[in-house]
Amino acid sequence: MRGEFYKTLSSPIWWGVLAVAATLPFMLSSYYLHILTLSLVYVALASSWNIVGGMAGQISLAHSLFIGIGAMLSSAMLLKLGINMWLGLLISALISGALGVAIAWIDFRFQLGHLSFVLITLAFAEMGSIIVEGWDFLGGASGLLLPKDTGNFLAFQFGGGDGAFWMMLALAAICVLVNVAILNSPLGYYLRTIRDNEKAAQAIGVDILRYKITAMAISAVLASVVGTAYVRYLTFADPYLLISPVITIEIVLFATVGGLGRAYGPALGALLLVPLGEVLRGKLGSTLPGLHYFIYGIVVIGVILVTPRGLLPLFEGLWRRWREAR
Amino acid sequence: MSELYQALAQGLLIGSSYGLLALGMGLVYGVSGVVNFSHGDFISLGMFMCLALYSALSLDPYVSVIITVPVMTAIGALVYLFLIRPMVGHQFLMVVQLTLGLSLVLQNGILMVFGGQPARTPSVVESKLLLLGDVVLRVPHLIAFAVSFVLAGGLYVMLRSTDFGRSIRAVHQNAHAAALMGIDVGRVQVMTFALGIGILALAATLLLPGTPIQPTQGLRYTVITLLVVVLGGMTNFVGIMLGGLVIGIAEAFGTIYLEGPLGLLMPYLIFVLIMLFRPQGLTWSSSR
Amino acid sequence: MLEIESLTAGYGGVPVLRDINVKLGVGEIVGLLGANNAGKTTLINSLSGTVRPISGRILFQGEDITAMPPRLRVERGIVQVPEGRLVFPDMSIRENLLLGGINSRARPHRRQQMDKVLELFPRLGERLSQNAGSLSGGEQQMLAIGRGLMAEARVLMLDEPSLGLSPLFVQYIFEIIDRLHAEGLTILLVEQNLNLTLRHAQRCYVLERGQIAVEGVADAVRDDPRTKSAYLGL
Repeated sequence: MRGEFYKTLSSPIWWGVLAVAATLPFMLSSYYLHILTLSLVYVALASSWNIVGGMAGQISLAHSLFIGIGAMLSSAMLLKLGINMWLGLLISALISGALGVAIAWIDFRFQLGHLSFVLITLAFAEMGSIIVEGWDFLGGASGLLLPKDTGNFLAFQFGGGDGAFWMMLALAAICVLVNVAILNSPLGYYLRTIRDNEKAAQAIGVDILRYKITAMAISAVLASVVGTAYVRYLTFADPYLLISPVITIEIVLFATVGGLGRAYGPALGALLLVPLGEVLRGKLGSTLPGLHYFIYGIVVIGVILVTPRGLLPLFEGLWRRWREAR
Repeated sequence: MSELYQALAQGLLIGSSYGLLALGMGLVYGVSGVVNFSHGDFISLGMFMCLALYSALSLDPYVSVIITVPVMTAIGALVYLFLIRPMVGHQFLMVVQLTLGLSLVLQNGILMVFGGQPARTPSVVESKLLLLGDVVLRVPHLIAFAVSFVLAGGLYVMLRSTDFGRSIRAVHQNAHAAALMGIDVGRVQVMTFALGIGILALAATLLLPGTPIQPTQGLRYTVITLLVVVLGGMTNFVGIMLGGLVIGIAEAFGTIYLEGPLGLLMPYLIFVLIMLFRPQGLTWSSSR
Repeated sequence: MLEIESLTAGYGGVPVLRDINVKLGVGEIVGLLGANNAGKTTLINSLSGTVRPISGRILFQGEDITAMPPRLRVERGIVQVPEGRLVFPDMSIRENLLLGGINSRARPHRRQQMDKVLELFPRLGERLSQNAGSLSGGEQQMLAIGRGLMAEARVLMLDEPSLGLSPLFVQYIFEIIDRLHAEGLTILLVEQNLNLTLRHAQRCYVLERGQIAVEGVADAVRDDPRTKSAYLGL
């Protein structure tokens, strides 16, 4: 099974795509580059959620906590305590990981049903949101403004649109690779058994607690790291974006529509829906309020009705039919 | 001390409506296995319809019911037939995403038509009060309480004593066996969903007087309904009504005793506490 | 009365039954035998309409019902008493019976039909308001058959009525089956229990891995060596 992962790692297609992608900053206008960078952020976030939600089947809405901690805590530490953002990234990731472990432990210890887990993680997410918005150290309701990005990599700065794009490209690639690695490893196998039939898995002796914790920890750490990078890119730490449960709902949408539990599913979902949302907002956002989301909602409904099993299975089907036709 | 009674009274009054909302969701879940995440946005739709009917025809919300309930029921049937039924057999989460897409459509459709400013729909009884000792009870809340319980009771009787109600329970308990009895499972599913949405139209009228409404409020109602439904064990009639009262009281206590946003956390906290230590929720015997 | 022609059926496009030909004459008791997973339940569900055929035809009294939904088949009198006694566990005996007679043909005379059914199964009459889920296996089977009778069946199809029952109950149930047959009811008996079925059925089909391995009158089927091998998988 491990072989699959190394095959991917050494696959010329993978490196080819990455290489081509890396040249995009030189070819795209800053507007489109921004959209693509944003898409990559969500590729990374959706892929990180996929580990817990798709592979392990645990629909957690607590992800905004990890993203928010990665973003708000590291920003606060830089601005209020002068701590280098790399260190802030690390500390936030550790805290997020610990929090993730705690949540996974609660899930296991109290034998939560699926919908219960959804609502309880939502409760935590709302609590987190309220705490951050009420705590001045973390910026309160008005958020935090980071110092200007002058390209000092040691200070965790990317130097503008191009650098940010490469950073997000790297993070997105890492998150997807982690997905591939897990899917082709014993961990991925056990997570699938937990997803498909937890009781049966427990009956045959699978260590449910250990695998749920592992999945959640990896997922939380990745989300936190991306959160830190995201806030640096935005330069403004907006609590209503970064620690609100809404961001989790978006991520879950991308992961599900793209192909839940598959390595490339969330990436596909994000790469399709984020640009769609941004373009709609750009073209229609100022005409009639709500119009762009209205159309976005219709498109989402349409996509789901047309590909109820997800985009990835659809493309795979088309690919297969194209190959058979040759 | 009177604060306590005030909170309790308010909570009970609103909670009964929450229970009613959740009954609709529970019925649909039991029969179709679907959780509609645009539930709250349908309530919004009902409320804004009342607003529109008031603006156009000066109809009091309590009168608009005559129009909104049939219209929303029809909309519910159409939504089920064209959006939900095609998804039967597919991943639960995917169906949820579809309903979230629907939520976006409803919310923003309302936004486009009515604008984003909070609006009020005046009603004849809106400012009338009833004083019970030190406790101030608002008449709209009393009406909501009474109607919700009557309706819940009616639903209960319908489920227990009519063939349609028995068909619903049959499909919920064993859809295959129900089909073997000659029950048109598909028809039961459409009608149950439509009924659920129709109930929302009624609940919208009950919750409307005295409340400023905004297009973005749908999510809040959806979450409250979810909390109540899960507390009630998903399909347990009594459990759900009880859950409604619990969440209603938790919310009332939260807003009266705690400051600002912290108050909104109370329902969540109570929910987490109950579900952690009593995972079967508020169900006692299997009564349905 | 009931004819199955070249039926191929299964789940999700994967065939479980292949090229099945079965005939059921008016007033007959026909047995459908076979080991576990031979396809018996799939066949009976194809007749009820809850399994869509991949190819082939089903005819009832000359009418092609292949594409007919379950509801209309029940109204024509094709009634199944399902396996595992799929009674509605959270409903009372009375409610289960009422549901049995919910189809439009049977509904007008539900009350009288219920009296008849309770006469046949007095045990059920004693506990009308008890929840079906709390009944014993034998009582649940009685309820399932009673429920099936409420539908005013013209063809009654029983899916493994003896499963999990004590010998006394089995005897009681099969006495009832004989009695119903004597009153003119056409019966399809799907069973795993070879000897029991061969004693009560006039003709039998033996299913093996989705195909008819043996068919004929009961005695012929009993003596046919292929019957034993179909069961033992030789």
